Amino acid sequence: MAAARADTLQSVELADGVEIQLRVAGPAVRSMAYLTDLLIRLGIDIVVAIIAFWLLPDLIGEEMTRGLMMLFAFFMEWFYNVFFEAGAKGATPGQRSMKLRVMSVTGGPVSLAQAVMRNFLRVVDFMPGLYLTGIVCMLFTKRFQRLGDLVANTVMTYAEVPQFIAPHVEIRAERRAPSQVLTREEQAALLQFLERAPLWADERRIELATLVEPLTGAAGVEGLQRLCGMALWLQAPEDKSGTPPPLKGAAMLRS
Amino acid sequence: MTPAQFEKQIEPRWQKLEKLLKEAEQSHPTAAVEELPATFRQVCHDLSVAQHRMSPQRLTQQLNALAIRSYRVLERHSAGGWEAFARLFLLEFPQAVRAEWKLFWWCTALFYLPAVLIAVITPWYPEWAMTLLGPGGMMQVESMYGEASKPSDYVRESFGSGFSAFCFYILNNVSIDFRTFAGGILGGVGALFVLLYNSIQLGAVFGYVHYSGNPLTLYTWVVAHGAPELTGVVISAMAGMRVGWSVLRPGRVDRRTALVLAGRKALPLLVGAAVLTSIAAVLEGFWSPMDLPLVIKFTAGGMCWLLVAAFLLSSGRRQADAA
Repeated sequence: MAAARADTLQSVELADGVEIQLRVAGPAVRSMAYLTDLLIRLGIDIVVAIIAFWLLPDLIGEEMTRGLMMLFAFFMEWFYNVFFEAGAKGATPGQRSMKLRVMSVTGGPVSLAQAVMRNFLRVVDFMPGLYLTGIVCMLFTKRFQRLGDLVANTVMTYAEVPQFIAPHVEIRAERRAPSQVLTREEQAALLQFLERAPLWADERRIELATLVEPLTGAAGVEGLQRLCGMALWLQAPEDKSGTPPPLKGAAMLRS
Repeated sequence: MTPAQFEKQIEPRWQKLEKLLKEAEQSHPTAAVEELPATFRQVCHDLSVAQHRMSPQRLTQQLNALAIRSYRVLERHSAGGWEAFARLFLLEFPQAVRAEWKLFWWCTALFYLPAVLIAVITPWYPEWAMTLLGPGGMMQVESMYGEASKPSDYVRESFGSGFSAFCFYILNNVSIDFRTFAGGILGGVGALFVLLYNSIQLGAVFGYVHYSGNPLTLYTWVVAHGAPELTGVVISAMAGMRVGWSVLRPGRVDRRTALVLAGRKALPLLVGAAVLTSIAAVLEGFWSPMDLPLVIKFTAGGMCWLLVAAFLLSSGRRQADAA
């Protein structure tokens, strides 16, 4: 892999030997999930308190009701997150609304012990206020882990793959071999360019294609055309049909 | 093979996996689920090939998501329910305390010695205890354990008030245990702070009651629930120190790994401390406010201390030897 990476994909090797990629979530979206949970918890607290103090005192007495509410507050404070994160979905309602999921660093689901660890340490991550420790810690770890995540060995990941819309665009570039031998990463970059180019404006495509002028030997529209040609060549070196086939998700020039 | 052919070739496999997953994720999987591991491995293989051949991202991402989903199903933990919890408290917790006996005695010493020191010097230097308690604390101690107080002052009549007190102790004391543990990750400073703070406060109360109150009221009140409660405080600090120590001295592994390992070792301690504190809450809520002769109170209190000591010393020893 290249030294500096622009994405947040983390490779994990499973026990079965295959490498999977986890898309870890950063502080911003996690803060949103946390605030959502805070509101949900507040809502639950209010509703339960109203119902309890309305119904229960007549049944079991004033003091019992107050006691039960304290127990309820205790469990909401410490076990709301634990309950949901160790559950089947691996996420609290707030995290689910942001399409997040807690996972073990090994790629598996979190165990109850891990959920307890990562949530009890929130106290320290929150210090000195507004999760400052946790956020600083996240910025210094490559998997965006706060202290609780480090001890529990967990990561917060995106639960769903972003839906990839494959546009059908006719290719009108001439297939050509790259002017020099490309490494695997470079080949992958070219293929991804071809895949994603239809999502961009012409100016952006040309701008990016101009960056690889040393490879294509031309700038502007001509450079883009040559770049697409090379990417097509990488997809299928020999041209059997004679005319370039219309490929799904391939980039083209509209001009 | 062209990319398109490859995609067509692997499609039935991942579609089969998707179908099996859907069944497995429901509570009543069918017999076909037995094929899940094998299909999972096939799809993992396809994913590796797709990654190597630099197939379109659309395909690799889809296979990747599918692999993660099946791994979650295959690696699903069953928490083990109450049996596992009982095992954790009854066997693994005393074992963990004994395994870290040095740390236990350090924390015990750090908790009891300052308390005893403050309490002992109070007759000669009462201003220490008074400063620590503050005017409000002094008034509270006077009103609870003052010279005019009797051991029977704290009798609660109704079950409701006992229950309400029990719930309050759970909310307050168990939360303190959890916070003490969490504070330990800061190199042990947080846990140490809570330990010492509680220690000198406790020492100040005892010293001050001896100085200007009725100690008998205090002792009849605390003797029983004090055993699990104070032990719980010490052990929750111990769990925090265990994690903090791994930050300071990770030993032969790197700090990240040391933290994870220390967290696993600290969990039985934390659970044990919480359960002890909950037991203390039950005693404090229901037993301590009972109006019973002093002999019974002190015998039961002594039994509590002996029970806690015997439990920590001996429970789970045979299982540890067998393992």
